[in-house]
Amino acid sequence: MTMAINKKLLSLLLLVSSLSSIASASFSDPDSDSDLTNELASLRSNSESGVIHLDDHGISKFLISSPTPRPYSILLFFDATQLHSKTELRLQELRREFGLVSATFLANNNGSDLNKLFFCEIEFSRSQSSFQRFGVNALPHIRLVTGSTAKLSDESGQMDQSDFARLAESMAEFVEQRTKLTVGPIQRPPFLSKAQISVIVAMIVIATPFVIKRILRGETLLHDHRLWLSGAIFIYFFSVAGTMHNIIRKMPMFLQDRNDPNKLVFFYQGSGMQLGAEGFAVGFLYTVVGLLLAFVTNVLVRVRNLNVQRLVMLVALVVSSWAVKQVVYLDNWKTGYGIHPYWPSSWQ
Amino acid sequence: MAAVESLPPGTPSAMRNAFGTVLSALILVLIGVLAFSIRLFSVIKYESVIHEFDPYFNYRVTQFLSKNGIYEFWNWFDDRTWYPLGRVIGGTVYPGLTLTAGTIWWVLNAINIPLSVETVCVFTAPVFSAFASWATYLLTKEVKGSGAGLAAAALLAMVPSYISRSVAGSYDNEAVAIFALIFTFYLYIKTLNTGSLFYATLNAIAYFYMVCSWGGYTFIINLIPMHVLLCIVTGRYSPRLYIAYAPLVVLGTLLAALVPVVGFNAVLTSEHFASFLVFIIIHVVALVYYIKGILTPKMFKVAVTLVVSIGLVVCLIVVAVLVALVASSPTGGWSGRSLSLLDPTYASKYIPIIASVSEHQPPTWPSYFMDINVLAFLVPAGIIACFSPLSDASSFVVLYIVMSVYFSGVMVRLMLVLAPAACIMSGIALSQAFDVFTGSIKYQLSSKSKDDAEDNTSTKNAPKDDASSGKADKGEEVAKERLSKKGKKKEREPAEKPSVKSKIVKKKALVLPLEASIVALLLLIMLGAFYVIHCVWAAAEAYSAPSIVLTSQSHDGLHVFDDFRESYAWLSHNTDVDDKVASWWDYGYQTTAMANRTVIVDNNTWNNTHIATVGTAMSSPEKAAWEIFNSLDVKYVLVVFGGVIGYPSDDINKFLWMVRIGGGEFPHIKEADYLRDGQYRIDSEATPTMLNCLMYKLCYYRFVETDGKGYDRVRRTEIGKKHFKLTHFEEVFTSHHWMVRIYKLKPQKNRIRGRVKKLKQKTSSGVSSKSVKKNPWM
Repeated sequence: MTMAINKKLLSLLLLVSSLSSIASASFSDPDSDSDLTNELASLRSNSESGVIHLDDHGISKFLISSPTPRPYSILLFFDATQLHSKTELRLQELRREFGLVSATFLANNNGSDLNKLFFCEIEFSRSQSSFQRFGVNALPHIRLVTGSTAKLSDESGQMDQSDFARLAESMAEFVEQRTKLTVGPIQRPPFLSKAQISVIVAMIVIATPFVIKRILRGETLLHDHRLWLSGAIFIYFFSVAGTMHNIIRKMPMFLQDRNDPNKLVFFYQGSGMQLGAEGFAVGFLYTVVGLLLAFVTNVLVRVRNLNVQRLVMLVALVVSSWAVKQVVYLDNWKTGYGIHPYWPSSWQ
Repeated sequence: MAAVESLPPGTPSAMRNAFGTVLSALILVLIGVLAFSIRLFSVIKYESVIHEFDPYFNYRVTQFLSKNGIYEFWNWFDDRTWYPLGRVIGGTVYPGLTLTAGTIWWVLNAINIPLSVETVCVFTAPVFSAFASWATYLLTKEVKGSGAGLAAAALLAMVPSYISRSVAGSYDNEAVAIFALIFTFYLYIKTLNTGSLFYATLNAIAYFYMVCSWGGYTFIINLIPMHVLLCIVTGRYSPRLYIAYAPLVVLGTLLAALVPVVGFNAVLTSEHFASFLVFIIIHVVALVYYIKGILTPKMFKVAVTLVVSIGLVVCLIVVAVLVALVASSPTGGWSGRSLSLLDPTYASKYIPIIASVSEHQPPTWPSYFMDINVLAFLVPAGIIACFSPLSDASSFVVLYIVMSVYFSGVMVRLMLVLAPAACIMSGIALSQAFDVFTGSIKYQLSSKSKDDAEDNTSTKNAPKDDASSGKADKGEEVAKERLSKKGKKKEREPAEKPSVKSKIVKKKALVLPLEASIVALLLLIMLGAFYVIHCVWAAAEAYSAPSIVLTSQSHDGLHVFDDFRESYAWLSHNTDVDDKVASWWDYGYQTTAMANRTVIVDNNTWNNTHIATVGTAMSSPEKAAWEIFNSLDVKYVLVVFGGVIGYPSDDINKFLWMVRIGGGEFPHIKEADYLRDGQYRIDSEATPTMLNCLMYKLCYYRFVETDGKGYDRVRRTEIGKKHFKLTHFEEVFTSHHWMVRIYKLKPQKNRIRGRVKKLKQKTSSGVSSKSVKKNPWM
């Protein structure tokens, strides 16, 4: 029900907006406007995924010198090549997503709507004055310049952090909200192209008889116990280290200390969160005790030399008790739980 | 025990054997007592009540069952919940727990033990955890002998992860399901070891019980096929494997389809497809082995090409059909909860209702230390012990631990499935370590005295000495662990007896230095003692709170907050029996069970739109919320507020999920409107939308009168809007510590009512179309 109403509403809005744009176009000089639009459209058709690369000149031409009720909006991505190395800004990732939104917009729109919104980017080193004109001094920054925006420093069109938190999907939502145009569901390129998939399938089909033959003979890697053993231990280590947590929550390996930038924080206090290095360290401690125990009970018993046995056992015992102590201490420090025994009350 | 029969009676070893059997039986009884009694802290510290949320629903269903009988239960349509939709209870609930408790209650009553249904429900979980530890003994015994079995059973009896779901009062599906899970695995391994069709049939029945009890049965029906496939791939196919697997799939699937909540899902959803695929593969393999048996090697080579190619074609067709089926069903045939296991980021992206539940979050390393404690150290040793030598049974437990530890890494809730595996592995590791260390001590003590006759007595003395030195500084439970080790020695030796004597001699030569062994033994016992201390502490402090009654210890003594029951009692005494109460879904089960009032949404989150409607109402301004609630015939709105006493899991802290879930269905609710700098704030920085939404108003109405400043003790800040009046709601009840506040919807104003009457006389549709505009619920 609601969906249908929404669609109707949307088409109505589109109609209204297209009518109004026609009306506004009739007030301003229609020739120069359509020239600019056509020029943008041709620029777009020449660029990859429809993102137009603008410089200072282009900005002044399409945004500054053109009269304010422009027939088009521009969604501008501010890029800086020199900052690509800073991974925490995620500039390249966002730029890719931006391209995806643009490509989706192109694929899902045709006719008059297509020329109402253009996706553009400017690069800092080549268009510094434009950055100043827009008043942009922090990246990542994406801004929508609507047809009615007169002053470029007007920041109302800025996309919030939360709007590109979910990447292309939320960018598209932002665009749809502000421009009343439809972007449609984001079409991500498939992980493997069709040709690649067919090649892989063909290879699998060809390889299967050989694999089965080897399996029947019992000569594959799969028959090697050591492989399975190390695989099992590795998965165990991987899981108890909380690596899945780090992947899902995208935790960094370590943090910088807020008070002292030169100091690195490897252990996070508080039980709901952990850092990458912290997880691996404790995962190692968890695993090493069991490995040493297994080593002593399975391998060391076969050693003939009594003194070697004594030495290795000493090392194993010391390392194991250190590891257990360390984990108990760290757990206590991190979660703040005070575990205590319950003695009979008559003992106190 | 088979060894007992084979030996002539009266010989010393037969005596020892019998003694060992009796001793291990005694130990098992003690383990059962331990498992039961460690879970009674909640009854001792609080009282004999049902805990938390879901158990209240199960309790209500059990009450219905015991009152009306099984057929009524099967056909029960519950109109007290999900108003106005209702819910078909018989077809949407896993009936295993309810039927189990109902049967126990019926049997007890039949033999004139008049326990109340509530008492039976409260103690079902502890009883079944005793069963679960016995099942663990059986399973581990099949894998590595009864010594490891006893150790694993003792560990499982007190593993904190399992305690957290099975304390007295925690009457939830997992309580019986973990027993069913372990027992099914045991029967599978038993069948695999014996090749007996009897056990295979029992296995299918145990699987049926598991399907009845818990949605986690999909773990079994994926793990066992994986193991079968693993055995085939590594060249371990045997007729025993066929007998263990094929009947399970056929009978198990037929039986599973009998459970209404599963029904045709047992053959239609892709969680089950793996078992069918492996079912086909095992038949192909069985055929290959059969042909291999009746042909000469040369002929076989020719035949193999033929069979393999035909088999391949069949497999490919089946795979294609399966892929097509999976692709054609919604969500690709995988339900959201399962998908979130394979693609961990799936749930947080697409399903807020799954992401909102705290037990679906991925755990960090302290969770492992909290929930399986020192077992985390011992598991790797257990894995290695299982590889030397690798048998069908030990490869199964290795697969079990690997899969469960991975899944527990994705969802903290699945730590519960990991716990038995960790106990089995640690039991094996402990048993092996004790074996080696005590063996070394025994061998060297006896070789020093150089007297063969004293061999036996010193065997008994050596471990006892260590044990008594350890006894002084640890609890009773460790004694049991020690006993288990002793029992294991008794049990293991007869098992080895039939083998060649030279093997024993050879094994005795594999020794470690005496003093190092003693130290290692002491350290292991200390580790065990630490485990016991941790488990008792966890059972007493961390996992026993019923969450329906809260306590807090402060300098002036113990405070008890019984606000929930106070307000549910108020509802049941002061409102009409057919009144509808709206609250966030967390409190749905409790309201129906304790107050016996109809609710709009409850913890069975089957209808996202309905939940989103309530979320929307809570996030809307007063008038819009009133209209939504009024259209749902709601009379009372219940909110939980912790700001006065500092109770953190209140509705304001859950509010972001109301906005998110509401906004997911009704786009006019936008999360951004409630956020300031990406945070939900209720202080002076809060957004106007936040300060005007119903949830804020209902929680903080008259709040400033408590302390004059309006200081929220959960958010640790003064609230943003202190003085305001309610226009469409009136406060009817606020509990003693302000934890539960109940509001009544004010009747429509006269002016509006007059207009409505007029309009109604003219046309009945006029009003509804007007309210529809702002009301997302149509």
